Amino acid sequence: MIRETKTAAGVSAGEKLPVLEKHFTAVDLVAYGAATWDWHRLHYDVEYARGRKLPGVLVDGQAFGALLARAALEWAGPRAFITKLSFRMKSMAFAGDTLRVEGSVSDVRGNVVVLAQRLLNKDRVTAEATTEVRLPV
Amino acid sequence: MSLLTDELKSWIGREAHYPAREELGRASIRYFALALGDENPLYVDEAYAKEAGYPSVIAPPTLVCETCQYAHRPPDEEGYIGHEWHLPVAGCRLIRAGNEYEFVRPVLPADRISVTWTLEDIVERSSSRGGTQLFVTSVARYFDAQGSLVATNRETLVYQPL
Repeated sequence: MIRETKTAAGVSAGEKLPVLEKHFTAVDLVAYGAATWDWHRLHYDVEYARGRKLPGVLVDGQAFGALLARAALEWAGPRAFITKLSFRMKSMAFAGDTLRVEGSVSDVRGNVVVLAQRLLNKDRVTAEATTEVRLPV
Repeated sequence: MSLLTDELKSWIGREAHYPAREELGRASIRYFALALGDENPLYVDEAYAKEAGYPSVIAPPTLVCETCQYAHRPPDEEGYIGHEWHLPVAGCRLIRAGNEYEFVRPVLPADRISVTWTLEDIVERSSSRGGTQLFVTSVARYFDAQGSLVATNRETLVYQPL
């Protein structure tokens, strides 16, 4: 049995999405870099990162997009489809950080739900996103 | 002195194309999901994906927008193998400002995806740290083997003087 998918009729503005937390270890950064063919030293070479005046190895910015998409789809269900996801970076994140994805429904337009999502690193905003999810009619 | 030289302006509109080399494949999809700790069965369970209405397992949406898988070149001294414009900008560090993804349909393991990058715009803006910085916006368009658009990734990088 597959999970249920939200319908536009069953969703209203203001509804909050479940919070998704993801701790990024150095291993996670290597795994994400390898899975995305990204071998840049910033993501695993601590000395290189410190030489660039960074406190540690850097979480790939596109992993933020992946995490935001994951949170939206875990909420919406298997028949939902993300049509648009736009995020703006507010700060960097490093190995050892725990990122938290929060979100809420900001609008419902026909069968498309607009989400306002935020990625937080403790109290600091890491990224802000607007995500549009098409739901089954 | 302006960072946005006439030479740099002439780069606006340039394109780079990377052809598909093989199918995306189930292993790539499983690897990406595992790396992100994403346990969504749509990415690994064929029967589940079919019951949800898809022809096979599907890829997590942002996987095709990951830049490095297409260029197929040896790593540079920083280890990077992805698409790069090599803009004539000296003494700057690069910071991601954000990405805008648009998705047309779910990508399947059988899809052969090619990508065309366009350097859409370069804008110079004042920096909160004093001076100015460059905002470089590029658009990657991803096509399937039939030439149909499956996704678009508009990426803005900031060139910040050191």
